[in-house]
Amino acid sequence: MRPKGFPAAGIGIAFGFGFALLAGAAGAQTAPPARDDIIAKLNHFEEDAEVDLPELKQQVMQRAKARIRNDPGPVNRPLIAPDLAKLPAFNVQIQFDADTPIIQPASYQTVGRIADALVHSSVLPYTFLIVGHVESNSKTREANAILSQRRADAVRDVLVNTFKIASKRLQPIGLGEEQFLDRARPTSAVNGQLQILTSAKLPEEAPAHPVAAPAPAAKKPARKR
Amino acid sequence: MVRGSVTLILLTLAMPSLSAAETISFGDSMGKLAASCGAEIVANCRGVNPDSTRLKECLSRNRDVLSQQCASDYLAAFDAIQKRVAARITVANACQREIVKICGGSTKQTSRSIPCLVSTPKGISNNCLKAVDDAGYR
Repeated sequence: MRPKGFPAAGIGIAFGFGFALLAGAAGAQTAPPARDDIIAKLNHFEEDAEVDLPELKQQVMQRAKARIRNDPGPVNRPLIAPDLAKLPAFNVQIQFDADTPIIQPASYQTVGRIADALVHSSVLPYTFLIVGHVESNSKTREANAILSQRRADAVRDVLVNTFKIASKRLQPIGLGEEQFLDRARPTSAVNGQLQILTSAKLPEEAPAHPVAAPAPAAKKPARKR
Repeated sequence: MVRGSVTLILLTLAMPSLSAAETISFGDSMGKLAASCGAEIVANCRGVNPDSTRLKECLSRNRDVLSQQCASDYLAAFDAIQKRVAARITVANACQREIVKICGGSTKQTSRSIPCLVSTPKGISNNCLKAVDDAGYR
């Protein structure tokens, strides 16, 4: 399955040794996911997740900054947003440069496949959360919370700017070390995966256009955006 | 006779451009970009994400030091991405009748009619289906 002990941060060093090793490193990773596998993970939507993202962002930062004496240790640390764990999820390892939100070429194809999946008709009616995580490492939890948010933002930006996925369908959130995917092994690379979660259905009738609606009323919602 | 053969020649000339309109997936374009330019990006564009504007700019700036493979492939890769994105707009034209008549939608919000276009077994023109495929909706 997934190679162990191969944290995203370590990959940056491998690049220094040249392209041959890069190819080797990429080969050691799981192959880029197939579009249809991503779709299959995301298209069984049931009900809208009620997530207050600004609130959750604040909670993540607060908890990551909190004094260590309250921390039960990574293995016993409760999930900060247990509800998110119930959403349809596609988890994937994206290789970033160490401590930055820069996606490495080894993961370009993966990001392209995610974009391919998101334009497919079967998931077109949905909105998604892009969730960044960082495995437990030598950095502070606060630094990892910030890093995971920047990485989630970066992936959203690429999907929106390069592949023109509608930005209203994508919401990035970084959970740092506050929501381990594998709590038993906090330092495992599994906990540094990026998640795409199906979070809600796009509102059916976004701009209602009743024939009788006066012009100013029709303009108002547009101004809000 | 002559007119007939002229038409035929014109048609054969038009064929390659028709088939060239077919798009390739984002994943394949990005895979090609990484395979051809991965080393160059790491060496010359460190700190730049695969943003179609910024990464293209960076590679163009460094044209002199790019490998032949990368120099010949990177613009094609970005063009291919651009083409597939642009194909979504083509759907609004190619499927106008289907969107309005069959799906009860509007070409102003084409994406809302896509699931209907894809799941309707009959009455969708080949032209429309091709546009849907080019945009990567199926």
